[in-house]
Amino acid sequence: MHRVHGNAKTIARLVGLATPLLLAGCAPQSVTEQGAAIGRLYNLFLAVAAVVWVTVTGVMVWSLVRYRRKDGDDRLPKQTHGNRYWEFGWTLIPLVIIAGLIIATVRTQSTVLHQQPDPDLTVEVTGFQWSWRFAYPESGTEMVGSSRHPPELVVPANRTVHVRLASADVIHNFYIPRTLFKRYAIPGTTNEFDLTFTELGRYDGNCAQFCGFGHPDMVFSVRVVTAEEFAGWVTAARARSTAQRAGTTGG
Amino acid sequence: MATTQVPAPAPAEAPSGHPRAGLLEYLTTVDHKKIGILYLYTAFGVFFAGGILAMLVRAELAEPGLQYMGQNSYNQVFTMHGTLMIFLFAAQVTTGLANYFIPLHLGAADVAFPRMNAASYWLSLFGSLIVLSSFVVAGGSAAVGWTAYPPLSDARYMQGTGMDLWIVGLLAVGLSGILGSINLLTTIFRLRAPGMTMFRIPMFVWTVLVNQLLILLAFPALTAALAMLFLDRQFGAGFFNPDQGGTPVLYLHIFWFFGHPEVYIIILPVFGIISEVTPVFSRKPLFGYRAMVFATFLIAGYSFTVWAHHMFTTGQINLYWFSIMSFIIAVPTGIKVFNWLATMWRGSISLTTAMLMVVGFLVVFVIGGITGVFLASAPIDFAVNDTYYVVAHFHYVMVGALLFGLFAGLYYWFPKMSGRLLSEAWGKLHFWSFFVGFNLTFFPQFLLGLSGMPRRIADYSGIDRWTPLNLISTVGAALTGLSILPFVWNVFVSLRKGAVAGDDPWQGNSLEWATTSPPPQHNFHHLPEIHSERPVFDLRHGLDHPEAGSHTDPQTAPERG
Repeated sequence: MHRVHGNAKTIARLVGLATPLLLAGCAPQSVTEQGAAIGRLYNLFLAVAAVVWVTVTGVMVWSLVRYRRKDGDDRLPKQTHGNRYWEFGWTLIPLVIIAGLIIATVRTQSTVLHQQPDPDLTVEVTGFQWSWRFAYPESGTEMVGSSRHPPELVVPANRTVHVRLASADVIHNFYIPRTLFKRYAIPGTTNEFDLTFTELGRYDGNCAQFCGFGHPDMVFSVRVVTAEEFAGWVTAARARSTAQRAGTTGG
Repeated sequence: MATTQVPAPAPAEAPSGHPRAGLLEYLTTVDHKKIGILYLYTAFGVFFAGGILAMLVRAELAEPGLQYMGQNSYNQVFTMHGTLMIFLFAAQVTTGLANYFIPLHLGAADVAFPRMNAASYWLSLFGSLIVLSSFVVAGGSAAVGWTAYPPLSDARYMQGTGMDLWIVGLLAVGLSGILGSINLLTTIFRLRAPGMTMFRIPMFVWTVLVNQLLILLAFPALTAALAMLFLDRQFGAGFFNPDQGGTPVLYLHIFWFFGHPEVYIIILPVFGIISEVTPVFSRKPLFGYRAMVFATFLIAGYSFTVWAHHMFTTGQINLYWFSIMSFIIAVPTGIKVFNWLATMWRGSISLTTAMLMVVGFLVVFVIGGITGVFLASAPIDFAVNDTYYVVAHFHYVMVGALLFGLFAGLYYWFPKMSGRLLSEAWGKLHFWSFFVGFNLTFFPQFLLGLSGMPRRIADYSGIDRWTPLNLISTVGAALTGLSILPFVWNVFVSLRKGAVAGDDPWQGNSLEWATTSPPPQHNFHHLPEIHSERPVFDLRHGLDHPEAGSHTDPQTAPERG
């Protein structure tokens, strides 16, 4: 009885130790609808992975302890060459687990890659060595960044933002870590996807694909604002870029 | 001067008094064992160079900001680190072991084409030197990542001869691989000793057979990709240039059609080593020999159907096919892990350094394999592609699994190659420092990647939460680097003063343990009869032992007279 109690305590202590580790390994909270779906999928995989790893490592450690050869023991253990039932089992069980993970993946994938036929806003993102250009074709405004002056992508919350992604030179990778999403910007090709931000705030973005000397400087930020603030920002930005254009022509 | 394939009677050569071969003998040799040793020494030379580059990377990343090198140097350093480790170390080091042990495992006197074998080695050495020479040309080495994606690797964006030397050097190494593969395949198919049927060859031979088939099928794709890249750079051929109707996506397809099988080219012989070492130190036969053979073929077959999981974020591929195929490849890999565990189960396990390395292999390979399943899921890949998560994943497989497996093989086979045992005390120090150092280096990188740290950046100023994990990783890397020292010292001392091993120090199963340590030039003075996949076990216990000669195919007559 005492023994059982001790074991239970050990197990509880182990679980207590493992829980924070497992939580540290969870996906970060996403700020888009699409990213939230990816985060949930990741955490499902993590739970399955933890069980599989603990099982496999547990069996191994048990074997090492239980079947360790004693000094001077020269007996030959029973020579088992195989067992078709066991082998069938450990082919079938992984197949079932994998099938479940495939189903979860396909469902998440269709959520993440779904494109609204009628998005609220379209943004043209162009990567170049070494910054980004964000253009809003509907309002005729654009932001062009540089390595020294990273650009800012301003978008409204709870609206579908349709991104058309291209590159002016080499392959880049448009990445906003808090969306848990990224996509290559490839010269000669346009990639399209939707992002629906659900949290107001400012988030970091960067190029994730190595693209030459200034790659680490190819950062940007995303500012998620309310729909009203966004309308105001568009008006101001349009006035600013008209003034800039006039200035450029004049100079 | 070395001669070959002499099935002649034994020369007057004392079993353990093997004369030390001189430099000239190594330069002119066509003996598979000496060529194997040349491959091993060269590969470890490259490993030290690549390892120093890795230390530079980790030193730079220990804290934010640029400390030790400029952006451009950093880009060269990580490019060459990957190039050296993947192309010039990982694939070559297992070729060295295969060269040494395949003929011994088959009961043959040498490989099928000894001269071509020497040609492969020298071609790969010169290819490697061409790649390394790019460090000293104007403009420095390639700085485009080991994958060299165009247009970045095109002449418009990456000037300088360093990039061209990279391409030409790797073309030579690729050709050497193809020659070597024809040689080893012919050896396995044609030079097996009487009685050594296909289903009696050691698992290491099976894995090398499949690994060489993969080389034969995948390396030509690498050759094509590199040749097109070269033509684009030198003559503006435009294969990958959208302005000329080409596309960089084509390069990605061809490169990864080679690149994913390359992962299995590197790791399959390691699976073979684990399948040799585990039974010997568990004193049981390999569990599910035939299942292991079929799993090896399945993995190899699937490896040609999953390449575009490296391209999930390009938006240019069929996600369903490549994702589902990548999931499924986990099943035959799982079968292998379970069979190794079942081999240990109810065995009589002695935890020698070689066996400890197997344990290390299993722990890290399962982590590497499971995270591979994460990456097979396209949405998860959208989150972690091009981040340190991927770096952690493939280092768990390509550093952890490869090196633990390789060290298992080296501690196991060193006595056969040198006639002397490695020290167990130094070996255990080597194991524990490497095991702790390795996990300390790479486990934090999963968390860094998950929180968004991209690969291939020298500086992460402004993102303070990445600093502690990077510091842990760098401390781990230093420990990993130091863990190699007890190994080097162990080899150095044991070669001179190690305990004399005798023919069969571990009670082995396969034929190499039936000859002297080191083996004579023609390998065997006489061969035991072969009735099972464990001929030396049968020899030790006598054929009337109930277990001897068991579990073989019904065909007991020798296949060839």
